[in-house]
Amino acid sequence: MFKFLKILVRNILQGPATEAFPLKPAPTPEKMRGRVTINPDLCVGCGICRHVCSAGAINITPSDDKKGYHYTLWYDSCCLCGNCRYYCPTNAVTMTNNWHNSHKQEDKYKMAEHHFIPYIACEGCGAPIRVLPPHVAAKIYAHSPVDVDKIIRLCPSCRQIATAERQGELHESKPE
Amino acid sequence: METKQPLEQKSFSLPLGPIHVALEEPMYFKLDLEGEKVKHVDITSGHVHRGMESIATKRNFFQNVVLTERVCSLCSNSHPLTYCMVIENLAGIEVSKRAQALRIMAEEIKRVASHLFNVAILTHVVGYKSLFMHMMEVREIMQDVKETIYGNRMNISANCIGGVKYSINLELLDFIEKSIARTEKHIKEIIDIFRTDKMLLRRTTNVGYISAEDVIKYGLVGPVARGSNVNIDTRRDAPYLIYDELDFDVITETGCDVHSRAMVRLRETLESIKIIKQLIRNMPEEGELHVLLPHIPAGEAMARSEAPRGELFYYVHTDGTDMPLRLKWRVPSYMNWEGLGVMMKDCEVADVALIVNSIDPCVSCTER
Repeated sequence: MFKFLKILVRNILQGPATEAFPLKPAPTPEKMRGRVTINPDLCVGCGICRHVCSAGAINITPSDDKKGYHYTLWYDSCCLCGNCRYYCPTNAVTMTNNWHNSHKQEDKYKMAEHHFIPYIACEGCGAPIRVLPPHVAAKIYAHSPVDVDKIIRLCPSCRQIATAERQGELHESKPE
Repeated sequence: METKQPLEQKSFSLPLGPIHVALEEPMYFKLDLEGEKVKHVDITSGHVHRGMESIATKRNFFQNVVLTERVCSLCSNSHPLTYCMVIENLAGIEVSKRAQALRIMAEEIKRVASHLFNVAILTHVVGYKSLFMHMMEVREIMQDVKETIYGNRMNISANCIGGVKYSINLELLDFIEKSIARTEKHIKEIIDIFRTDKMLLRRTTNVGYISAEDVIKYGLVGPVARGSNVNIDTRRDAPYLIYDELDFDVITETGCDVHSRAMVRLRETLESIKIIKQLIRNMPEEGELHVLLPHIPAGEAMARSEAPRGELFYYVHTDGTDMPLRLKWRVPSYMNWEGLGVMMKDCEVADVALIVNSIDPCVSCTER
């Protein structure tokens, strides 16, 4: 019993172990997995986030006029597992350390992030595409002599044609 | 004239649960009593069945990592780890040394927190509230570690198929080292209290006795078996990850009672801390931490690991699509559950909650 009394006295002298939240801010670690957020500029619409999302919190629907797609992320469904962030190839999905998710009942359908992400036209044929973010393109074409800025503005078929043309040029330029 | 109960009627049955202040989780006990002594126990389960094995067959392999993490909050790293191991066994995915070391790190941090929690609940059940508060405060150090390293206090989401989702740098390793040093000091103090405190000893020794023969007969696992001097530990007996390269002891006690099981858990936290220290010192520098979106072929596989409560077993059957045909897991509490009938034989009614807590029951695992 005496052994514990010693601890008891020590703990009393140390003062309260609890945090004064909400009177004072609670310390939040930098890596705390809080609210998910998406950067629409980096999104290429591959849909891997929706595929791995275990809570079904992500919806990607093409718009009616086929000019882009709607990206919706429901905070209330999200279970903060971080799968979307982990598998996102372009780092468009990130997590903040904001854990303040309490809200009024009437606001529950507003607890979402919504973006309309537009397509651009392929410079070869005009088909609707999303442009690869420069940092991803630089990684993919790191050891390739192609003009990255130009090739990321082409759709997959036009890119194939461009590659074939380039191979042909290389072939022709070789001495017989 | 009012009729009184005849005095000679000594036996009666007492329902306990499924919701009861002294029980951690929903279980229903029908106790046949003679005076204060328990003569027979009927256990009914199924109050928190969520159909998770069925849900698992309707989700793809990547979603199931998160689903298995939600099976149980205290083993919430063991489940996805073993699930990832079973998928890796099936697909023949090699996990790098660094990823394996990080997986063990997560597993042992969770084990320390889980064991401290269970022993804290023991002090709560015996009414030693101030020690309970102190132990939960010690556990809070590990909770802070989890929050800082993994970003969540319980569902740490450390594993993914083929590796781990988190990396670690020197600064964080330093933080873990400082935190476990603090925890270690406190745990040693607590172990000393558990060895010497007369009140705790009176309340926990020779309560919930189960002999080594009965442990083997009922197939009990984990700290419950080791508390009865049955020396089993999956980490040593069937090494997975890089456990065979680490130096740790398998803790056993000979008392076969509630106190022994608590002591096994407390001493095991020190072994876990020993493992974490070795990992901090020899963390492999190089190595890919993940495999991106592997293809999972058709077939069957199994994997097992040592969860805080004992051996955890996973079985998967796939057909080449991205969803399993069958995912089955056998959790340690399912085995330890059967031991309760033996432990509660001839115990006092007041000890029932204490004995239930001593197997560290995880009903949400058992009934999933």
